[in-house]
Amino acid sequence: MNIAQMSQTLFYLIEQQPDSEKAVSYLRQQADAFQANPQVAVFYRVFTAMPRFVGKRMIEVPADMAFAIERIRPGFTVTDWTLDRLARVWWLLQLPIDDQTYYVKTISELFKAGELNELVALYSSLPVLAFPESWRFQATEGIRNNIADVQSAIMLHNPYPADYFDEAAWNQLILKAFFTDKDVTQIIGLHERKNARLAQTLADYAAERRAAGRSLPTHLEELLG
Amino acid sequence: MDFMDSIRGMSFFDMHVHMTSRTTDDYQAMADAGVVAMIEPAFWLGQPRTGVDSFRDYFASLVGWERFRASQFGIRHYCTIGLNSKEANQEELAEQVMEILPLFIYKEGVVGVGEIGFDDQTAAEEKYYRAQLDLAKEAGLPVQIHTPHRDKKQGTSRSMDIALEHGLEPGMVIVDHNNEETVREVLDRGFWAGFTIYPFTKMGNERMVEIVKQYGPERIMINSAADWGISDPLAVPKTAALMKQNGISDEAIRLVTFTNAVTAFAQSGQLSLEELTQPLSIDQSQRYNGSSVLRGGQAPRVDKESTIIK
Repeated sequence: MNIAQMSQTLFYLIEQQPDSEKAVSYLRQQADAFQANPQVAVFYRVFTAMPRFVGKRMIEVPADMAFAIERIRPGFTVTDWTLDRLARVWWLLQLPIDDQTYYVKTISELFKAGELNELVALYSSLPVLAFPESWRFQATEGIRNNIADVQSAIMLHNPYPADYFDEAAWNQLILKAFFTDKDVTQIIGLHERKNARLAQTLADYAAERRAAGRSLPTHLEELLG
Repeated sequence: MDFMDSIRGMSFFDMHVHMTSRTTDDYQAMADAGVVAMIEPAFWLGQPRTGVDSFRDYFASLVGWERFRASQFGIRHYCTIGLNSKEANQEELAEQVMEILPLFIYKEGVVGVGEIGFDDQTAAEEKYYRAQLDLAKEAGLPVQIHTPHRDKKQGTSRSMDIALEHGLEPGMVIVDHNNEETVREVLDRGFWAGFTIYPFTKMGNERMVEIVKQYGPERIMINSAADWGISDPLAVPKTAALMKQNGISDEAIRLVTFTNAVTAFAQSGQLSLEELTQPLSIDQSQRYNGSSVLRGGQAPRVDKESTIIK
């Protein structure tokens, strides 16, 4: 994926949001300052303090923008995001990519210290970050997370797992999605990545639910075959 | 008479409580007694931490898991983040904690730097207290000061002197754990005075009633500081009931159990009176699933009378 192109497109979308002049000038200022003097403390402060400067309104995504974004990174969508989430993902794209170790370490620190909304933005960003193979383990941590919104950010409308998870990690995602009442139809690759081991695990799960006198989650039976 | 009867319909803000150490039963009881919001200051956990990662995880849990747990009972959970005075004495570790503080103090719902200040009043405590005052000033955040148990009066004066020396406005500083000996100076110098209603070691609530009678409700706020010790998470509503029984006006009670704390911490820009007077909907879509307080489709209320567990 072309990071510069994605960054420009997301910024253009931010500019299109109603009453975003203040947010846009703040972001431009921070990006210029960071480019001139790329200090990690600045990178962290801007990421963390984002809601104070751009607000948390729901964004509007015109069809042509959704299309343009999906062209640059297939499966990637920002629909139903808030402005702070969009701006945070855009901000992550401002991190220089010339040193992989530094890049991965810097973003990993954000994961370690992240609160709910930061984690949502971070997991949402995985499909557009550099060095995509580096995030495999981190992505599975998102599945293990206890916060429903964080789980959703990695499980739903996110192309990263289908592209990069091995079978065991993928199956864990699907099983966890059923356990946590997600709308599994929003999982990208749900049918493409069906497999025999997953069908067996889900069949056991269905039997266990029936034995406990509990109902079956919707769409579970579709994955048994 | 049940104390709950006299405070029905009142809302409370417990501006100092360590919910990390409490159970869901406590959350339930607090919600039932009218506690709608709380501040959890970062403190020490009863034994010293040995690495910076423990601090990081603790701070992250204050803005994450604990905030979520509270929300499941309709309670808004805010926090103050800081390096406590006891652990400031492990200097090597303290340096590392100082490095990660900026990652947390700018987060949403962080309403101040706290609880910081003095314990033994050592040089190391002073060093990190001063450094954190600068941090708070730079971030435009209020400061929540823990005053020492030993040599309290002198330690409280000194905490205020140093805050002023670092250019903080007294109105941005909440001096906590006051008693009859410290309150006058704190109020006279224009600081906020917090009182902790905590059995045996801090204030009793009959004494608190007398203080409000003597000094009035302005710039005074009470809290439970309930933690892992023998303490009472219902200290704020119980004290409100006692104040009511003793003829203190509803308006004064509201100031010391709710409004003053809101006014002081709203200066962070991270909470507001408007926000607090809206009920927090218990949002099932935001629940932490899996190993959580709510498993599967569980309802946040459990019928404690029933012997059947589904």
